[in-house]
Amino acid sequence: MLFWPKLNSLWRNLTERQKVEADLANEIRSYRELLEEQKIREGADPVTARREASIELGGAEKLKEEVRDVRRGAAFDVLGAELRQSLRGLRRNPSLTVLGTTMLSLGMGACIVVFSIFQSVLLKPLPFREANRLLTISETRVDRGIDHASFSEANFWDVRSYNHSFSEVGAYHYDEANLTGFGPAEKVVACEVSAGFFRTLGVSPVLGRDFSYDDDRGGFRNSVVMVGNKFWKTRFGGDPRVLGKTLRLNDKAYVVIGVLPPGEPWIDDQLYMPFGYRPDADRTSWEFQVMGRLKPGVTGEAAQADLAQIAASLAQSFPKEDKGIGFVFTPSSTWVASDTTRRALWVLLGAVTFLLLIACLNIANLLLARGTARMREIAVRTALGASRARLTRFVMMESLLLNGLGAAAGLFVAYLGIGLIQSVEIRGIPRLADAGLNTWVLAFAVFIALVTGVLSGLAPALQAPASGIAAALRDGDRQTSSRGQGRLRNVLVTGEVALSFLLLVGAGLLIRSFKELMTVDRGFHTENRLMFTVSMPGSYWEKGIGKQFLDRFFERLKTNPQVLAAGAVNQRPVEGGDPGMGIDTPQSSAPPPWAGWRIVTPGYFAAVGLPLVRGRLFDENDKPVWIPKDVPPYPRRVILSDRLAKQIFKNEDPIGKKVVLWKGQSSGLAEVVGVVGDSRERGLAENPTLTVYLPYGTNALTSEFVVHTRDNPLALVPTIRSLVGQLDPNLPISDVRSFDQVVYRSVAPQRLNAILLSIFSVLALLLATTGIYGVLSYSITRRTPEIGLRVALGATRSNILGMTIREGLRPALIGVLLGAIGAFWLSRYLATLLFGVKPFDAVTYLAVATLLLATAALACYIPGRRAIQTDPASALRIE
Amino acid sequence: MSPSNTNLLQGTLDVLILKVLALQPMHGLGISNRIAQVTSNTFVVKPGSLFPALHRMEEAGWLTSTWGESENNRRAKFYRLTAAGRRQLKQETDLWARISAAMARALKAT
Repeated sequence: MLFWPKLNSLWRNLTERQKVEADLANEIRSYRELLEEQKIREGADPVTARREASIELGGAEKLKEEVRDVRRGAAFDVLGAELRQSLRGLRRNPSLTVLGTTMLSLGMGACIVVFSIFQSVLLKPLPFREANRLLTISETRVDRGIDHASFSEANFWDVRSYNHSFSEVGAYHYDEANLTGFGPAEKVVACEVSAGFFRTLGVSPVLGRDFSYDDDRGGFRNSVVMVGNKFWKTRFGGDPRVLGKTLRLNDKAYVVIGVLPPGEPWIDDQLYMPFGYRPDADRTSWEFQVMGRLKPGVTGEAAQADLAQIAASLAQSFPKEDKGIGFVFTPSSTWVASDTTRRALWVLLGAVTFLLLIACLNIANLLLARGTARMREIAVRTALGASRARLTRFVMMESLLLNGLGAAAGLFVAYLGIGLIQSVEIRGIPRLADAGLNTWVLAFAVFIALVTGVLSGLAPALQAPASGIAAALRDGDRQTSSRGQGRLRNVLVTGEVALSFLLLVGAGLLIRSFKELMTVDRGFHTENRLMFTVSMPGSYWEKGIGKQFLDRFFERLKTNPQVLAAGAVNQRPVEGGDPGMGIDTPQSSAPPPWAGWRIVTPGYFAAVGLPLVRGRLFDENDKPVWIPKDVPPYPRRVILSDRLAKQIFKNEDPIGKKVVLWKGQSSGLAEVVGVVGDSRERGLAENPTLTVYLPYGTNALTSEFVVHTRDNPLALVPTIRSLVGQLDPNLPISDVRSFDQVVYRSVAPQRLNAILLSIFSVLALLLATTGIYGVLSYSITRRTPEIGLRVALGATRSNILGMTIREGLRPALIGVLLGAIGAFWLSRYLATLLFGVKPFDAVTYLAVATLLLATAALACYIPGRRAIQTDPASALRIE
Repeated sequence: MSPSNTNLLQGTLDVLILKVLALQPMHGLGISNRIAQVTSNTFVVKPGSLFPALHRMEEAGWLTSTWGESENNRRAKFYRLTAAGRRQLKQETDLWARISAAMARALKAT
């Protein structure tokens, strides 16, 4: 009700101000004239009438002001006036404005950069319907210490059929295929998925149809394929007539039946084929990733209990394969970023929060100092009737305005920062390329500007009107501020130093840990090593075509003078997968150790620089451990990594001893012919792995090549390409990198953290130094007369210098102590990110404390020196 | 205590203005005079209270104003009640009746 007239009057008040004002003036004039007339009619003479009318009206301006106050939108007027006033204040004091904005822009820029990454990695939802119902299901064998494993095919079919908790369960099997028919042969990711896979994710094709349950029924492989959106765009130019076309994959034809919507990178540039249900599906090789979509209303616990029952019956029905089986869930939120990345981002977010707080304290300090300098102005305003609330609001407005400017500049800083990070960091941080200044990030910038604006305005605003007016007017601008204010400023400095301590300790720990990580004994050697992938389709496993290629390739490569050693393996170190097996002596009855297995060519060990510890390496006579049925049995031979050999054989010499491969699933015996050094196969931060090496051969091919070169390994790439091209033009080369690059990329999250935290802590140090310097130099200026007096009374220069430095260092020292306590308490959250360094690392703590105190002393020294140069006579004259 | 010093209760002025304008449109001085007249000079409304009240009520949509000629051919701003103003007057009158009855009872008691 009455909404319209209200809005109307608001509109009129704001837009037709002049007309409204003129109207009011006329109305008051007319009232006065009428009143005068009335008085004259009542018998007064004109002069008296005029005087009485004026008295009754009580001042036209005051009247107008009172009417303005009741007008709708009056608050806007006041706000506008105050805003103009604050802007004028900031313009009158450019050094404060520039200094404040710069400090804030750095703090806020850092904050915005980290938040934009954080938002893109952790907050942006997965492009799947109701992603919170989605989860990964993994097999476990707790009795063998396996808490996360892929599914075996048969177990997947059983879980899919017998569970009551999931509306859909889907599985996929990562695979690659050679694509021909689009220029040179190319390796593409071609996953096999169960028919319900995309329905589980909640993804529907944008074109064509999804796999139906007919596609995976009947135990045969249907030759149909669905293509990812990016694949469709790049290979087919987004042509809708792609449906029904044929793709040649591994020399077999597949018909395109559907196109997927754009989504996560791992779903975009791939091909998907259905894998069929087989009653004789394998129960022992764990190769399938399984995802489930919980039915509405079913909790994770209920589903867990449901699957526990299935596990129990599987263990009973298949005691050999499924003994001790269990299932665990991981929420889909972990699909984008691993726990380490998530934790690293949280740590960064904490770090920038501290940084922003430091900037905030600095601004508070600046405004406080200015408030003191403006004591007289404020006193005059108070005397003229400015209310306490209005003065507080004025100071607050100034702080908000300054922080607004800071946020705007911070957005610019962040824009540059994100670009810089994206240009140096390609992999390692998922979705990094998506990070940017989107609506979320802008809203965040506004939010932090408001919060820091209020925070940094709080102390100055409360201080502003509290001081005595009379004293301020008497003493003028140069009056010595109250003891309480000096203490407040010292508290702010203490806070800055403490926060900087936290940041510096965090950065120090991460830098030390990164250094440890990069210098840890890797086992293999990475310098001057070239890595690349030549993937061979399944047909190469037959008739020895693949083995022939490998042999001829290495033979030709050996003649190149640049090549020191060359070999190949089935899984690339650090980046590749880690297939494993149980392995132990035939006599042992304990649970067998779990070891990763690798198929290698004889030259592999020399190529990656793994030393031979005992026995011998493989030679041409060692054949694959998979003995084909049509071949007479031959002795099987393996090489163990040092730790594995020690674990199995304790102190005995393992050479010539027998081990059971895939213990628990088969009884194939093999002889140990050699022991090689340990290596960090699964990445630098992981402990050296237990590994068993198997010889390559006709039915055991290797796709990951390692070449040890004399000079720059990447210079050899053209030679390799032409050599592979000459030998077999159908084989694609991919993932060409130096081993150093592989390792470098694998530590991307750690490196990004170390670098960013270092930058943040340098900023923090800079801000804290400015803060200390500002406070001290201000207090020295204020105390010039006092110092002059001291000098006049006989204080030496070193007395004065010592006094100022002591005074400046006291809050810094308290800050260091508080910071150390805080860091001790907080560094536990850093513990899982550290490598080779304890969270409470005395060296780091001492170094940080020394650095902070030294910087603080320097910040004190400069104003201190100015103090001792004071000429006592002139100093006293100021008074 | 002189009558003109009687403080207007919160809301009193609004009802008085509404009531006075219910008869006919008036300009500011007219309203002031009329209020003094009907309350036998108990309430004398000064411009300092009258102007803000008139403008506030106009913004609330209870009054509208137009420029017109006064009885002595002077230009003056005339205020007139709107339909919403009449409703408001009705409400306030009821309220006042209740309050004054209640107050009278309360003060007579004991």
